[in-house]
Amino acid sequence: MNNLQQTARVGLFFLLGLALIWVTFETLNGGKILKDEGYAITAGFESLKELKQGDEVRMAGVRIGEVQSTRLAGRRAEAILRIDPMVTIKSDATASIVTAGLIGTNYIGIDLGTAGVPDLVPREKTRSPRGFFSRILPFLQPEPEPIAEIQTKTAADLNSIMAQIGALGEKLESSLGSLGTAFAGDGKNPGLIQKIDGLVTDNREKLTATMTNIREITDKVNKGEGTLGRLISDPKLHDELVATLNEIKAGATEAKGFIANAQSIIDHVKQGKGAIGTLVFDEKIGDDIRSSVATLRTISDKISRGEGTLGKLLNDDSLFRDTQAIMKKADRALDGFDDTGPITAVGVVYRGLF
Amino acid sequence: MPTPEAHPASSSDPAAAAPAAAQAVGVSIENLSKQFGTFEVLKNVTFAVEPEEIFVLMGPSGSGKSVLLKHIVGLELPTSGCVTVDGRDAAAEDTREHVRMALVFQSGALFNSLSVFDNLALYPREHRVANAAGIREKVMRALQILSLENAAQKFPSELSGGMKKRVAIARALVMEPQLMLYDEPTSELDPVMSATISEIIATLKDEYHVTSLVVSHDRELALNIAHRVGILMGGSLVVVGTPSELKASKDPRVAEFLNPKIDLKNPRFKKLET
Amino acid sequence: MNQLIKILEGIGSTLQLLVRSASYLPSLPRQFGRFVEQCYLIGYTTLPIVAILSFFIGSVLALQAGYSMQNFGAKQLIGALVGLSMARELGPVMVAILLAGRVGSAIAAELASMKVYQEIDALVTMNIPPARMLVMPRLVAVLVMVPVLAIIANLVGWFGGAIICSSTSFIGIEPTTYFATMRQNMEFKDVLNGLIKAEIFGFFVVLVCCNIGLNTRGGPREIGAAVTRAVVVSLILILVLDYFVTKALM
Ligand SMILES: Nc1ncnc2c1ncn2[C@@H]1O[C@H](COP(=O)(O)OP(=O)(O)O)[C@@H](O)[C@H]1O
Ligand SMILES: [Mg+2]
Repeated sequence: MNNLQQTARVGLFFLLGLALIWVTFETLNGGKILKDEGYAITAGFESLKELKQGDEVRMAGVRIGEVQSTRLAGRRAEAILRIDPMVTIKSDATASIVTAGLIGTNYIGIDLGTAGVPDLVPREKTRSPRGFFSRILPFLQPEPEPIAEIQTKTAADLNSIMAQIGALGEKLESSLGSLGTAFAGDGKNPGLIQKIDGLVTDNREKLTATMTNIREITDKVNKGEGTLGRLISDPKLHDELVATLNEIKAGATEAKGFIANAQSIIDHVKQGKGAIGTLVFDEKIGDDIRSSVATLRTISDKISRGEGTLGKLLNDDSLFRDTQAIMKKADRALDGFDDTGPITAVGVVYRGLF
Repeated sequence: MPTPEAHPASSSDPAAAAPAAAQAVGVSIENLSKQFGTFEVLKNVTFAVEPEEIFVLMGPSGSGKSVLLKHIVGLELPTSGCVTVDGRDAAAEDTREHVRMALVFQSGALFNSLSVFDNLALYPREHRVANAAGIREKVMRALQILSLENAAQKFPSELSGGMKKRVAIARALVMEPQLMLYDEPTSELDPVMSATISEIIATLKDEYHVTSLVVSHDRELALNIAHRVGILMGGSLVVVGTPSELKASKDPRVAEFLNPKIDLKNPRFKKLET
Repeated sequence: MNQLIKILEGIGSTLQLLVRSASYLPSLPRQFGRFVEQCYLIGYTTLPIVAILSFFIGSVLALQAGYSMQNFGAKQLIGALVGLSMARELGPVMVAILLAGRVGSAIAAELASMKVYQEIDALVTMNIPPARMLVMPRLVAVLVMVPVLAIIANLVGWFGGAIICSSTSFIGIEPTTYFATMRQNMEFKDVLNGLIKAEIFGFFVVLVCCNIGLNTRGGPREIGAAVTRAVVVSLILILVLDYFVTKALM
């Protein structure tokens, strides 16, 4: 083979290599080489928790950038967020660290802010022009320096919310258990007990508790004490719960991508089967809980007043059965949430519901 | 004899390629000893080769002649004593930058991956002695002198032992060195070619200034072209003198070495046995 | 003790050779022909075996991952697993090992025989430093060719994995899913990381093999010994360097 041919082959070979590297780069970095990097802002938090470099930044669920770096700044932790060019953030928008997905993927969620409020960074400053060299060699491009700071809020911690829900479940359950005691003591209609499913039977011991117990509980509920009470009397807490549950919903959606089985769980949940399904997908959850509890209160009030209400209650057994079924399932699910946290949430949902 | 001007062989200075202006250099060996492990190959060898002199070094095989030559080109380092070329330590690397030396290896040491032509052209190309046409002319002339024109495109593996030797000599000639070292240039050659080589060695200094140090067993060559002859035996230089002095030498070892009698009635190997 | 001294001697002479060769870099344009020839030997002729090997490594990786991950229901992540493993570890290491076996051994054999048959001595007396003519063009050639080999190894390995994933019944991942998860979980940084590793391995393999070849002493028998030593030392070096380079690039 002559030299010219050899040189040509080597040259071609080298060019092929360069082309392949280029293609790989374009594919993996989405052609970022020709786009500009946008701008950076800081977000300060008490703790970044599991947040790390490279995590997504989303606004209303849409990816708008990523966490460029994290650092300690005095007594707080700062995340530098790189935001895509031409994306503006309202100056009253707040950022929070959100846990999504089952393996603890974190992202920074930024809300839309209020319309009409000026932008945190004016639109014309959202682009970082590239120098000639960094255009050719993108690795030379320095990361954008943060030019503004976004307000932050600490998102509700899923673990503590779950603990509260668990406690709520327990309280509801013990209330119902006490009601069961009334039925058992009465004995007028033994057929009812057979209709009530396993839980009540299992809790027969609890049924021996005194009426004082239930009076105390209902009193507390009336006075707005305890989680349940607060849940009923404090709309803000309720809103938070709904927000949290919406986050669970987002997490559950994400789960699809990871565990094939999760899809069927989610379907099940979506159909409103099981307690979590109801909790997560029923917008009117608050009303339901409130009305259930209101009914409950009426019942127990009547019981405590010693009126001959047991007969009525027996007529109303469908309400009782429904409530109890829901509570039983919710309890089983929430028990799990209580000690394992969101990491295995879907697993727990699975165990709790099926 | 020190040369004041910087030497052209320096690769970092390709513009200074002017071999014609080069002066011949002298070699001086003082108390040179060399040991390989515990084996003493050279013992206190001292002699000097004057510029433009033809010095023939003779000696039985295994006496350390090749090792001595390697010391002069700096491929071996002395155990003690020193070798200087043109006043510079032969062991120093920059000596080769300043003094152009060529060694015709006993084995030829041709580049097996290069054709004969490229073997010869390597030095002038690397040191940019001339342009491509000039190099070609030089190479072809050297090949012609040694009747190798037809072998130009052959590879060393396709050559006979004698041809390899001639290519090695041709390669050294192309370098136009100031100091030419031959390691047994006429062994393996037929008598006519041996005579030709002797003529080349003798007349080379007419073309340009060159000092020649020839290691050879060839009596004809030694006694006809040498200005002086040294005989190395067992690592020591036993005698240095002009060819006529040597012929007149009374030293039995020298007489025996220069004129060994083939005595079938009383062979030497039998003497060794007794 | 003697062994230790030999190792230190080897490291020292290798670094010395590196410095020397680097100092001859300016003569590269004059040695363009040699450089191209070495590129041809190191890059072009090594390509087929690199392609074959990386294809099967990618396939086996996908197969093993599919087999073990089916129990966790994480099969979808095979694309990411094959992609990252090939790019960050297996691609570069495999290219380096092939270079050691195919190119390093050839270099050691060639230089050792040149040394044994006094060709190196002849070069030295001609004032042509072996580092300039024999080592520097090879080092530059390997630097130029290794990224090409490594990126081809990556791509072929990825495709090998994709083919296995879609054609094996118990895995059954479509190429679109496979590459989608790969893209989601990988960055060019990972590929670049691998290319840098391959570059470092390839460079040191060639350097070490040159040094071992040039330092051969003795007769023709030593040529074989030099080749063996060159390959063994290269392999050890690759794996030791791998640890440190991986750590340094993290
Ligand atoms: N590199 C070496 N290592 C050990 N011994 C050597 C070496 N080179 C030469 N010798 C020994 O030195 C002696 C002289 O060798 P040499 O100079 O080649 O002989 P000659 O005079 O025939 O050219 C020989 O006995 C040889 O065995
Ligand atoms: Mg000899």
